[in-house]
Amino acid sequence: MEVNKGQTPEPGETPEGAAAEPAAEAPAAETPEAVAAAPKAAATESVPGRVPEPQPLAETPVPARISLGVQLEEARLTPVELEHPKALYRSVLPGILQVPADYVIAAARKSSLWPMTFGLACCAIEMIATYMSHHDLDRFGIVPWPSPRQCDVMIVAGTVTKKMAPAVKLLYQQMPNPKWVISMGACATNGGPYTRYDRVLQGVDKIVPVDVYVPGCPPRPEALMDGFIALQNKIMEERGHTG
Amino acid sequence: MSPEDRRREQDPPIVPPEPGTIADLFAAALPDLAITPNQGALDVILIVGRDDVPRLLEAAKTDPKLAFDFLRNLSGVDYEAEGIDVVYHLHSYTHGHDVTVKARLPVDDLHIKTASALWRGADWHEREARDMFGVIFDGHPNLVPLLLPDDMDDHFPLRKDNPLAPLEEWQGTALGANVSEAGYIPPGSGFEVEKVEATPEAAEATPDAVEATPEAAEVTPEAKE
Amino acid sequence: MAESQEPETALNQEFETIDLNINIGPQHPATHGVFRMVLTVDGEVVVDVTPHIGYMHRGAEKLSESLDYRQAIGFQDRTDYLGGFNCELCYVQAVEKLAGLEPPQRAEYIRVILAEFNRITSHFMFLGAFGTDLGVFGTAFTYAFREREYIQDLFEEVSGDRLMYAYFRPGGVAWDVPANFKERVRWLTKQARLGADDMDKLLTDNEIFIVRTRGVGVLSVEDAIDYGVTGPILRATGMDYDLRKQEPYSIYDRFDFDIPVGTNGDSYDRYLVRLEEVRQSLRIIEQAIEQMPDEGPILPERLPRALRPAAGEVYMRCENPRGEYGIYLVSRGGTRPYRLRIRGASFCNLSALRQMTIGHYIADAVTILGSTDIVLCEVDR
Repeated sequence: MEVNKGQTPEPGETPEGAAAEPAAEAPAAETPEAVAAAPKAAATESVPGRVPEPQPLAETPVPARISLGVQLEEARLTPVELEHPKALYRSVLPGILQVPADYVIAAARKSSLWPMTFGLACCAIEMIATYMSHHDLDRFGIVPWPSPRQCDVMIVAGTVTKKMAPAVKLLYQQMPNPKWVISMGACATNGGPYTRYDRVLQGVDKIVPVDVYVPGCPPRPEALMDGFIALQNKIMEERGHTG
Repeated sequence: MSPEDRRREQDPPIVPPEPGTIADLFAAALPDLAITPNQGALDVILIVGRDDVPRLLEAAKTDPKLAFDFLRNLSGVDYEAEGIDVVYHLHSYTHGHDVTVKARLPVDDLHIKTASALWRGADWHEREARDMFGVIFDGHPNLVPLLLPDDMDDHFPLRKDNPLAPLEEWQGTALGANVSEAGYIPPGSGFEVEKVEATPEAAEATPDAVEATPEAAEVTPEAKE
Repeated sequence: MAESQEPETALNQEFETIDLNINIGPQHPATHGVFRMVLTVDGEVVVDVTPHIGYMHRGAEKLSESLDYRQAIGFQDRTDYLGGFNCELCYVQAVEKLAGLEPPQRAEYIRVILAEFNRITSHFMFLGAFGTDLGVFGTAFTYAFREREYIQDLFEEVSGDRLMYAYFRPGGVAWDVPANFKERVRWLTKQARLGADDMDKLLTDNEIFIVRTRGVGVLSVEDAIDYGVTGPILRATGMDYDLRKQEPYSIYDRFDFDIPVGTNGDSYDRYLVRLEEVRQSLRIIEQAIEQMPDEGPILPERLPRALRPAAGEVYMRCENPRGEYGIYLVSRGGTRPYRLRIRGASFCNLSALRQMTIGHYIADAVTILGSTDIVLCEVDR
C-alpha cells in the first residue's frame, strides 16, 4: 500500500504542495479517512483541460525509531558467507526453487536414463565397451537394464533383419512411456553395408520412431556418449510434449 | 556384374592331379565309379555324378584307408542354366588328408541324397543349402528353413537370379524429388517434398515468402521468452 | 502323529510332471546376441532343445559377390566381429592362393602379430562374458575390458578403426605400421599377461564358478567330430588338433608354441583351454616380434590395379578364436568372386548345442551356451 502510493503519479497540479503533504504522510496516518481524502482533494483542485505537470516522487522516509546501535548490531550478527567454495544455488536460488514442474521432471528423466541391454550385432561390442571400465557410462546416470519393462531407452545396436524386426517392434511396445530410441551405427540407421540385401530392413526407423542417430560403423564409444548427451538435450527441449 | 566381366568368365580347366594323391585311394576303393579328379589350389576335387554321391560319401566315411570323419563344409554354387553344384569338403583326423567332392544337379530336378546320416554336422549345412539354393536333400530328417523365416520356402537369396537391390533405391531416387536440403526422405514416409511446377504464379509467390521470413524471425525470440 | 507324518510322505512322493516349452530369446541377455532357443523341460531337466537362428542373416556371401576382391574384405570383419583380423587373414590367403601372390616377410609377421592379438581380445571377451553369465557380474567384464581396450588402441593406431579393420590386403597389408610398433607390442604383451593372470585369479579357483561349470555340457570326442565342432571346444574334449600346428598356414611353422587340451570336455575345460591359449598367443607374439624384419616392403612390387585371379576354386581354412574358419572361393576369372562361402566356426559349434544341453538343468543351459562362445553374425552371416 505504501509503495503503491509513492509510485502513483499525482493526478492534479498542486501549486502549494498541499496535496503532496498528505501523500507523503500517508504511511503514518493509516486511517481510512486520510486515504480517502487525498484523491478527493486532488480531484477538486485540478483544472479541467490542463495537462498536469509531472511531480517528483516523494522520498521514503527513514524510520526514525531504529537507532544506529541496532543497525550496527545487525551488521555484527550477519551470518558468515563461505567465500570458497560458493555453491551456485546460494546466489541464484536463495532458499526456494521456483521452476516449472515439467522442467524438474525432464531433468530427472534425463539424468537417469536406463537403456535396455539389447545387442544385435557388431555395434553391441562397442556398446559394451562404452559401459565398461575405460569409458564408463555410469557417470551420466546411464545404467543398463536387461528387461524392457523398466527401461526408457532402446539402443538398436546393429543390423535389423526382416526376421528380427517383429521382435524389435515388440520390445519397443513393451517399454513404458516415455521412451526413446537411439539408432546406433550405419546398419540400424539405413541398413549400412548390408542395405542392398533383401533380408535386411533398411533402417530401424521403418518400424519404430528414432530420436537420435549415431553414425559410424561401428560408432566409437565417444560417439555413443555424444548420442546420449544429444538425447538428454532433446528431453529438455521437448519437456512440454512428452508425457 | 559388368558385361565385360561376364564375357571373360569361364569354368576352370580340369587339371588331373599327380599320382600319389588322395584320388588314387578313391579309385582303388571304388573302381567301378566314374570319378573325374581335378587338382584344386589346395585340395583334390573329385567330380562325380549326382547318383554316385551317396556311394562315394559312404566309402569316404567307412573305408579305413580313407576315414573322412570330419565334414568341414557343405555348400552350393549356382551356375544358372547349367545347374547347381553341391560341394562337400572332407577332412580325416585319422590320416590328415583332405578332399573335395562335387556333384552338379540339373535346374529342374534339385534332389540329392542327404549326408546327415553319415555326419550329423551335415544337418544344418543342408538346411542352409535348401534355404539359399532350393536344393532338396532326400531323406533329411528335418528339412525346414533354418536361416530364413519358418514360412518362407519359395525364396532363394543366394541364387544368381535373385538380384541385390539397385543402387538407386538406397541412394535416394537419383537426386530427384525426394532429396531436400534436409537429406534423403524415404518414399512413403509422409514427409515427401512436393514438386512445385515453375509457373508464373509460383514465381510471384516467392517474394512474399521472403518478406514474411523477417517477421517470423522477429516473432521467434519473443515466443521463446 | 498323522499330521507330522504327512510332510515326509509328500517329500518322498514322486511328482508327475509334464513337458513344458520355454522360449529364450531372440532378445535375452544370456544369448549373446539374437539367438533363440526353445527348451522343452520336464520339471527342471531339459529334455529337448530347438535352436532357432537366422535373426542376423544379412547376406555377406551374396554381397561379396557384387564387390571386387579387395572391397569384399570389409565383410570379413563383420562376419566374426570379435576376430576380424583372423577372418581377414583367411580371406586374403584364399585370394592369394588363387591369384598366385606371395606376401613379403614383413607383412607376414605384421599379420600374424595382429591376428594373435585379436585372438587374445576375443578370448578376453569370452572370459568377461562367461564370468558375467555365471554370476561374477560386472567384475569379470570390467577386468577383461581393461586389457581389451589397450589392445584395441594398438589396432586403431595400426588400421584406423577399433573393430572393423579392413587392413590386410591380398599380397600383404594396406600400409606400414607406426614407427613405435615394436615397443608398443612388447609393452602390450606384458600388460596382456597381467590381465590373463588377473582373470586366472578371479575365476579359476572361484567356488561358484567351478560348481557351475565342472561336468556341465560334456561333449565326447566322437560327438564333437561328428558334429564338425572345432576350436577350443574340440580341444577341451582332449583332441589335439589346431590348424596352426597340423596344417600350418602363413608362417606359423616358425614359432614354438603348445596346444592346450582338456580332459573332460566340459565347460570348465573350455574355459581353461581358452585361458591357456591367451598365454600361448603371447608366446607367438613375443617370438614374432623378435624375428620380424625392421625394414622391408609390405606389398609385392608388381600388384595389378584390379585383381583377376585365375579361374579355379580354393577352400582356405584358418584357426580362428572360435575354431575353423573356412573360405570357399570360386573364381571364374572376373574381378569379383563368383561364389564366396563362409564356413563359420560358430555355426558348426552351435549345431552341437542340443547334444550338450539335453539332460542338464535349465540354469545350466545358459552356462553351456556361454561356454560355446558363439558370435551370431558368424552363425547367420
